[in-house]
Amino acid sequence: MSTVERIVRSPLHALEFANVLLTTPDAVVGASEREVIWTHRGTTLYRYRSSSREYPLPLLLVFALINRPEIFDLRPGGSLIEYLLEEGFDVFLLDWGSPGEEDADMGLDEYVCDELHWAIRETLRASGSDELTLMGWCIGATLCAMYCGLDRGALDASARPGPEREASRNPVRNLALLTMPVDARGSTYATWIGDPEFDVDAVAEQWRVVPGGAVDFANGMLKPVTNFFTTYLRLWQGIQDGGMRRDAYQPMAKWVADNPDFPGKAWSQWIRMMYRDGTLVAGHARLRGMRVDLGRIDQNLLVVTAGADHIAPRPGTMPVFELVSSEDVTHIDRPGGHIGLVAGSAARKEIWPEMADWLRERSER
Amino acid sequence: MADRKQSANPSGEEQIRALYEQAESPTAKAFEELVSKPSFGSLLARSAENVAALSRIGTDLADVALRNLRIAGRADITRLARQLQRTEDKLERVLQEVEQLGDELGHRAADGASNGRDPTGRERVKADS
Repeated sequence: MSTVERIVRSPLHALEFANVLLTTPDAVVGASEREVIWTHRGTTLYRYRSSSREYPLPLLLVFALINRPEIFDLRPGGSLIEYLLEEGFDVFLLDWGSPGEEDADMGLDEYVCDELHWAIRETLRASGSDELTLMGWCIGATLCAMYCGLDRGALDASARPGPEREASRNPVRNLALLTMPVDARGSTYATWIGDPEFDVDAVAEQWRVVPGGAVDFANGMLKPVTNFFTTYLRLWQGIQDGGMRRDAYQPMAKWVADNPDFPGKAWSQWIRMMYRDGTLVAGHARLRGMRVDLGRIDQNLLVVTAGADHIAPRPGTMPVFELVSSEDVTHIDRPGGHIGLVAGSAARKEIWPEMADWLRERSER
Repeated sequence: MADRKQSANPSGEEQIRALYEQAESPTAKAFEELVSKPSFGSLLARSAENVAALSRIGTDLADVALRNLRIAGRADITRLARQLQRTEDKLERVLQEVEQLGDELGHRAADGASNGRDPTGRERVKADS
């Protein structure tokens, strides 16, 4: 296309550009059929039934507290959940919902000791299995690791107060942690909020729920030129060259822009644990007074890291290998970014098959 | 041949694009370095504190105004939602207890059936006795 032609066509391109941006909220994400198994407060447990279920062990996907879990089921042909169903797994998804001010008192304690604990119980009840695979992404992975790092007896007692009973068996057979931060004190975030003068608790108290937009803005500021400028420039160039795929761009753009608020208590705990004190990695973290010891993790363990991950950089995940007591440990490291692990063509071709192979070998009865 | 000629003499637009590509990477890197400085962190942190405080003041003022008009404000809705959540928490625990008891009863019934006892623990009356 000649320069003159481009100039002549630029009003059309501008219209197309505006149309893509304006219709992005209408893009369909999370289209796979699912049923609600359990709800509590804003939390919902979904089940995706596989028409070719081969493995009895259910797989529970646990999402982060920022963004929405639709990234696991972004679009037909580009959905991790759809892929896992095709591979014969019985998939459950834990969706934390969109917290409001009334959820300001939700801390990591509540997310791990109540919501996750109860969701696991409901997953087992619905599937009829006595074990499961827990797969978490980003903060969701850390929540899963914390869950497995709790003492079972203490957890049972906290969930069901009363006379002392025999501790239940940990039902998590396999633990898959995708881009999990355990010690982020070396990250750019830590530079921003590590300053003791920044009063995390005051901000959490004043905001009650930290606006999702603020969290997203902070994430964007980690790579300001790429996130706030280059993305749109690439879209414009794609429209000019005729190579822009609306079905690929819009679901991702919609997902990126959908940012639920972060409950103030959980946010403040997360900042302290991850970016300031490093209590999780030091073994001093406590949930409801119970010590979280990652050394208690003895499940079959899969850790997936991404070399170009700027949100949960790989060095922040690596300490987990020195902490866990699992005998079966697998590490998949790929050059992509934080989101590239669970969405995108490279994920479908390379990472998902590897994860499915790992699960397959460990999901027989 | 035509392609070669075109690449040898790029158009004005191609030149601009190439220049941008050249400039983008170092600019992005420079900005990333800038945002990783502690001073930028302080600026961001202080801004976050101010925005949070302003939003709190704004919300409180709006709540006072609404309450004076006898209309439920955000704080009232939140309080109501919290009460509902407390009720839901209690219901969830009751439900879990019921399910647990149901399971225990089911296990006991299954054990009883195999031992010739009924779930209540009483000896089953045998048909021949």
